[in-house]
Amino acid sequence: MCACEARDNTDSLADGTISRRENIYQPSLMEVLQVRRQSADVKSVRLRFSDEAEGKAFSFKVGQFGIFSLFGYGESVFNICSSSNWKDYIEFCFRKTGRVTNALWNIEEGDTLGFRGPYGNYYPMDAWRGKNLIFIGGGIAMPPIRCAIWYALEQRQDYGDITIVYGARTVGDLVYADELDEWATRERVRVVRCVDPGGETPDWKGEIGFVPTVTEKAGIAASNAVALVIGPPIMIKYTLPVLAKMGLADQDIYTSLENRMKCGVGKCGRCNSGPVYVCKEGPVFTLEQIRLLPEDF
Amino acid sequence: MSEVISARALRELIGGWLKAGIRVAGPRRVATDQVAYAWLDRPEDCLLGGYIHPHNSIKEFFFPRHESLYEYRIEGKKIALKNPEPLADERIVIGARPCDAAAMPILDHVFNWDFKDPFYNRRREQTTVVTLACREHDHECFCTSVGLGPDAERGSDVMLYELDGDMYEVRCVTDKGGNLMAGRTETSQLTGSVPPGPAKKFDLAYLRETIGSKFESPVWTEATLRCMACGACAYTCPTCHCFDIVDEGNARGGIRAKNWDACQFPMFTLHASGHNPRNTQPQRQRQRVMHKFSIYPDKFGDVLCTGCGNCTRHCSVHLGVQTVLEAAEKSWRNATV
Ligand code: SF4
Ligand code: SF4
Ligand code: FES
Repeated sequence: MCACEARDNTDSLADGTISRRENIYQPSLMEVLQVRRQSADVKSVRLRFSDEAEGKAFSFKVGQFGIFSLFGYGESVFNICSSSNWKDYIEFCFRKTGRVTNALWNIEEGDTLGFRGPYGNYYPMDAWRGKNLIFIGGGIAMPPIRCAIWYALEQRQDYGDITIVYGARTVGDLVYADELDEWATRERVRVVRCVDPGGETPDWKGEIGFVPTVTEKAGIAASNAVALVIGPPIMIKYTLPVLAKMGLADQDIYTSLENRMKCGVGKCGRCNSGPVYVCKEGPVFTLEQIRLLPEDF
Repeated sequence: MSEVISARALRELIGGWLKAGIRVAGPRRVATDQVAYAWLDRPEDCLLGGYIHPHNSIKEFFFPRHESLYEYRIEGKKIALKNPEPLADERIVIGARPCDAAAMPILDHVFNWDFKDPFYNRRREQTTVVTLACREHDHECFCTSVGLGPDAERGSDVMLYELDGDMYEVRCVTDKGGNLMAGRTETSQLTGSVPPGPAKKFDLAYLRETIGSKFESPVWTEATLRCMACGACAYTCPTCHCFDIVDEGNARGGIRAKNWDACQFPMFTLHASGHNPRNTQPQRQRQRVMHKFSIYPDKFGDVLCTGCGNCTRHCSVHLGVQTVLEAAEKSWRNATV
């Protein structure tokens, strides 16, 4: 599960100062290039490394997360929701819920944020080559799926049919709505959108219903497929039996756990769930792996 | 043959270290009824005997309750980061108990598996640990149940044994300890020894074997329902290592700090969505005990507990891992399935 080798970051300065390179807690500075409002309480942010060389040296894999910070308010953990093929910037998405995210809500172009990462494991995009991909997301869980969707679309020849099922409480809560429209125009891509009953608008053309039921009715071919399912625990719980019924095996169903994290580097103990440190051995797990974990996430 | 030092010479030695600018920590009376490991101002501050276990642990000299990771300055839209203050000072912890000293090599694992924590590591390098073997124990001590004992040497650079006549036998365990005591001791015929320590409170091998499959055991709730989530167990524990990272400052700047935290607090695992995977106190107690006796040893090969007893000693409802493990062993052994 874990590809952990010890990293040598020892490089202290002569006077005993802990150097930038050595300080695993010190972030890179990033400039805000763009802030977009995705829904009533969700925004997406595009960032570029303030230090050009640092930006050039940076790479990550889709599915990994970062620790983003607003100085004076603190750090917050988000998936890096841009594709790893995009070289000039990275993106993350947040919902206004707590102290840090409420303050983040007011950031604008030109502001400076902190970033540490990338941390954690990633989606096995290589192993998924040649497979049909089923992406299922609920609510704010679109961003951690979006990075994989773009990645697959950019390496289109490597992947089979792509099905995206995305649901939110109301039409206004669907994030990346414009990108959903764009994905729907691509070849061999099917986008199924749904909102909870009552969450529709008069001109709503998508489905009305909850993600598990909509998925079940969508008639998705499950042969040679892998599924990535991310969303609230309740959505995941009811979607899993549907996927099983469709014929997907536990090792072909992936999710990304949203445990609370602080350090991201396997120290602070916060993300520990059963035998795993989610920040190190996760956040990406197959259902087969999840079944071995105690009900503690 | 042994090496010894008189109590007087030892105090002079402490005075010499302090004069030389070395920071020395040791057990110190901080209230009528309370002894804590604390920085010493004068050699006479240090208690060299007469205490069972201080109310804190020596981990705070390596992993402080509050520590600046770096400074930030906010200038308009720009941010400037500054390295933290240099960590260059030499340090000595004297009068540590073996259960405190042993905690440090156990904590080395988590602070170094993959990413290395430079703050912790620097202090480990800088600090020499002089341990005082235990002649007494109280009801809460259980070092012998986790493979340690009243004069276990793990994590110590020097071991001191109290002898009659205000003398101490000095046994250097590491080169660091040898260098510290070189030329300070006299040769003698006297050797120190300690009584065998507390009787075993539970069968560690049995618990290690069993605990992994006992996640759903009712004993967690039965034994821990009275916990009040105060966190004292974690804060007084030499091996608990959870922390939070927070900003402390104002509109112009401040520090980003690493502060102790505890898995006993309800907020510890609360997700942004409002979902809390450990929503009840027994779930949080189970986490503390399982982390120490199942998760950590499975991952790093060491039980994350030295049997110091602090978590029971300082708990207002007398819980702590010892109480929970005793109850667990009894319940699991009696279980018919
Ligand atoms: S076990 Fe005791 S010391 Fe620990 S949180 Fe509960 S009441 Fe506090
Ligand atoms: S768990 Fe309790 S007995 Fe064990 S090291 Fe921590 S405070 Fe001491
Ligand atoms: S987030 Fe700190 S250990 Fe995983």
